Amino acid sequence: MTEIENVVVIDGLRVPFEPGQTILEAALAAGVWIPHLCHHPDFAPHGSCKVCTVVVNGRNGSACTMRALPGQEVASATPEIQERRRTLLQMLFVEGNHFCPGCEKSGNCTLQALAYDAEMLTPRFDHFYPNRRLDGSHPDVLLDLDRCILCELCVRASRDVDGKSVFAVAGRGGDCRIVVNSPTGRLGDTDLAIEDAAAHVCPVGAILPKRVGFSVPIGARVFDAGPISEVSPHLARTEDGR
Amino acid sequence: MSAPAPLPAPAPRRRLRVATASLAGCFGCHMSFLDMDERLVGLIDLIVLDRSPLTDIKHPGPCDIALVEGGVCNAENVHVLRELRRAAKVVIALGACAVNGGLPAMRNHRGLEDILRKVYEERPDGGAGIPDDPELPLLTDKVHPLHEVVRVDYFLPGCPPSADAIHKFLTDLAEGRTPRLADALLHFD
Amino acid sequence: MTSLETAPSKTGLRRIAIDPVTRVEGHGKVTILLDAENRVHQVRLHIVEFRGFEAFVEGRPYWEVPVMVQRLCGICPVSHHLAAVKAMDRIAGYGALTPTAEKLRRLMHYGQIAQSHAVHFFHLASPDLLLGFDCEATRRNIVGVVAAAPDIALKGVKLRKFGQEVIRHTAGKRIHGTGAIPGGVNKALTPEERDELRRDLDEHVGWAVEAVALIRRLAGAAPDFYAGFGSAPSHTMSLVAPDGAMDLYDGGLRARDLNGAILFDHVDPAAYHERIVEIVKPWSYMKFPHIAALGAEDGWYKVGPLARLQTVDRMPSPLAEAERQVFLAAGGGRPIAGALMTHWARLIELLHALEVIRDLLDDPEITGTDLMAERGARAGEAVGIIEAPRGTLIHHYRVGDDDLVSWCNLIVSTTHNNQAMNEAIRAVARDHLDGRVVTEPLLNHVEVAIRAYDPCLSCATHALGRMPLIVDLVDADGVTISRAVRNADP
Repeated sequence: MTEIENVVVIDGLRVPFEPGQTILEAALAAGVWIPHLCHHPDFAPHGSCKVCTVVVNGRNGSACTMRALPGQEVASATPEIQERRRTLLQMLFVEGNHFCPGCEKSGNCTLQALAYDAEMLTPRFDHFYPNRRLDGSHPDVLLDLDRCILCELCVRASRDVDGKSVFAVAGRGGDCRIVVNSPTGRLGDTDLAIEDAAAHVCPVGAILPKRVGFSVPIGARVFDAGPISEVSPHLARTEDGR
Repeated sequence: MSAPAPLPAPAPRRRLRVATASLAGCFGCHMSFLDMDERLVGLIDLIVLDRSPLTDIKHPGPCDIALVEGGVCNAENVHVLRELRRAAKVVIALGACAVNGGLPAMRNHRGLEDILRKVYEERPDGGAGIPDDPELPLLTDKVHPLHEVVRVDYFLPGCPPSADAIHKFLTDLAEGRTPRLADALLHFD
Repeated sequence: MTSLETAPSKTGLRRIAIDPVTRVEGHGKVTILLDAENRVHQVRLHIVEFRGFEAFVEGRPYWEVPVMVQRLCGICPVSHHLAAVKAMDRIAGYGALTPTAEKLRRLMHYGQIAQSHAVHFFHLASPDLLLGFDCEATRRNIVGVVAAAPDIALKGVKLRKFGQEVIRHTAGKRIHGTGAIPGGVNKALTPEERDELRRDLDEHVGWAVEAVALIRRLAGAAPDFYAGFGSAPSHTMSLVAPDGAMDLYDGGLRARDLNGAILFDHVDPAAYHERIVEIVKPWSYMKFPHIAALGAEDGWYKVGPLARLQTVDRMPSPLAEAERQVFLAAGGGRPIAGALMTHWARLIELLHALEVIRDLLDDPEITGTDLMAERGARAGEAVGIIEAPRGTLIHHYRVGDDDLVSWCNLIVSTTHNNQAMNEAIRAVARDHLDGRVVTEPLLNHVEVAIRAYDPCLSCATHALGRMPLIVDLVDADGVTISRAVRNADP
């Protein structure tokens, strides 16, 4: 009897997986790039941003939440799917206030790097220019909701790793936003500490350790080294270092 | 998003007529254009400058390309942009401000009146009121990227886009290709 | 003759507008009111854009500001970068910088002076001086200079390139980089980078010497014209080093009066507001600063190269100082106020900047790696002042305990020159337009005077701007009588 091989095929590449792994986990472990934004290997999958959407046996699914199963034919890097990813990113850019030229996260920002990867040249849609809050009340951590993309990584990190639940999501639809669990709603009145995972997990420039600013020079930032599809820290390195 | 068709390949020796303008920008994109350095001399064989802050031509004639830096922050910007749109076959939004308003759009968070009061009234020496002469164009309540005002054919992001990126874009167009930026040339900052 | 600032009544006067003013940085227009005999009654330079940086810097974290405020100006972003970071050094509690960090910032700044002066002279102003004020408008630009004098144009391009490369090696990129951070700099200069810059330097110094010789010849051929065109005698102001020498990165404020006597000296930058006040006029977004003790009518002054060469006691680099003496001699011992003399002064500063860069690159500390100062007590308020290419640049911030900017005041170089530019164009209008039929070349004379100040109107609006000239002759009812258009493009 032939054993069924634990392999999925992604864009024609045979990718082995461990039972229980998601398609995204299997792909990244094999060094195969699937763009993703709200996913972080240290936290429970969330499946909200939809950037990692792939087509599995003809149907759409989030690679970060879908279990890898033998026999799956996965399409990811096709022009159509990349086009959809670009549209998702364009919507994220107009929904917040993402001004890369003045942002200290620039060069280290996952949202920006994904936009480069998707060859996004324009936000395309009309901007919302929302009026959001900047909270400097915490001595060591800055909260700039202009740049929040609601990936909820801070919510997950604070709850599941730090055990503090400093952040939560409130409101629905267009009013959906990150709130801070303190009587005043200010970050300075929580027990968030600079060492907490939640203070460092933000993939964009919404939650930032204070007074770091532009201390990393241009050229030495994470995504100065190459496109995110090659240098993502989530991507397993192959033996030749690539 | 479907990219607009590239310009038809120009007949040999026909130089592209290029207009440039800076609206609500800092002139950094024009400086980056000059950062092409010695390549500027070669570029003179490919393009001829029409209306531009670098020339004394104040209004555009029929052009192949309009390179527009800066977003739209007042009625005059709207006027200049529409004039360029009418004059040029291809309008390129050059740089972050033209593409998404850039840092000047940070004023969109706040009421325009509030900002004007901050800058002209709440000053150490008391301030002398907000300038209001009819010679000053009306400010728009928000700063807008170009594509919210006119149709834009191409977007070249960056603050500013590097000289290499501008050179690649212009030579692609001049040689009849759809302009495309490799990863190393694509930056938003 | 009135002061030409205000016509007693606009009834029956024709309005001519130069809109946009071109070959300057930023967006401005000139309006001229004439009566039926073409007598000039009012001349104004309007800054028509508003960007409001002072307002939206408020509420931002202080460490972000030095990078953000660069977007005030794409020509001299380094000036804003460094003025802001000098203030933020103190806000964040840093005292003296490490020697390497201070030298790297100076290197970046003098690179900025070199590239900005080169772009202004060669790319923007030289068409007037080399091709003539009344050369046809379509040829009166850098492309025209390339065609007429390719050697000069190419050397100009290379001089600017060199300055930009100095900036790139210290700030990470040519325009809007990130090199300076509160307390120091984020990047060392490697020996390889130093060698690369040093290799080409002597040749560039030679070209700067040639450029100074060129403007000296042009001025020498028409000394009265250079001395009198757009002349606006005024007080002058700049930073000076403790020994009175030129220092474009740091120092105390010095002002001289119309006769060159010192009005104040070695004023602590933090006390600038005791000496300088700004007023607003309803017809321009650019404010009008003046020396407080002298009042708004008499207190206006100039900054920038023309002022600096006359406020300082000497330039601390030999080739430039020798040229400065030749320059001063051209004034016969009297203060020099002709607008075109600014070009001469600017090119001497270009030479100076390259000499300073050479000295910095030859300093072994420049490749040091000790980049950050020790941190001490924080301050809630600080002022950063630097001599930008166009003159004294003042950044003033207050920052709260939450690290956010609570208040900000910027006085940019071009703003200091607001009254002087207006006076210069009035002088040109009196001397060249008054009583004549207005033509395009005559209107270019007005622009030539503005250009001499190398105004950066982007900065000056405290807002985002561009300087796009059409001239409409409009009667008092707003009906266009005739139009002189600058786009006589075939």
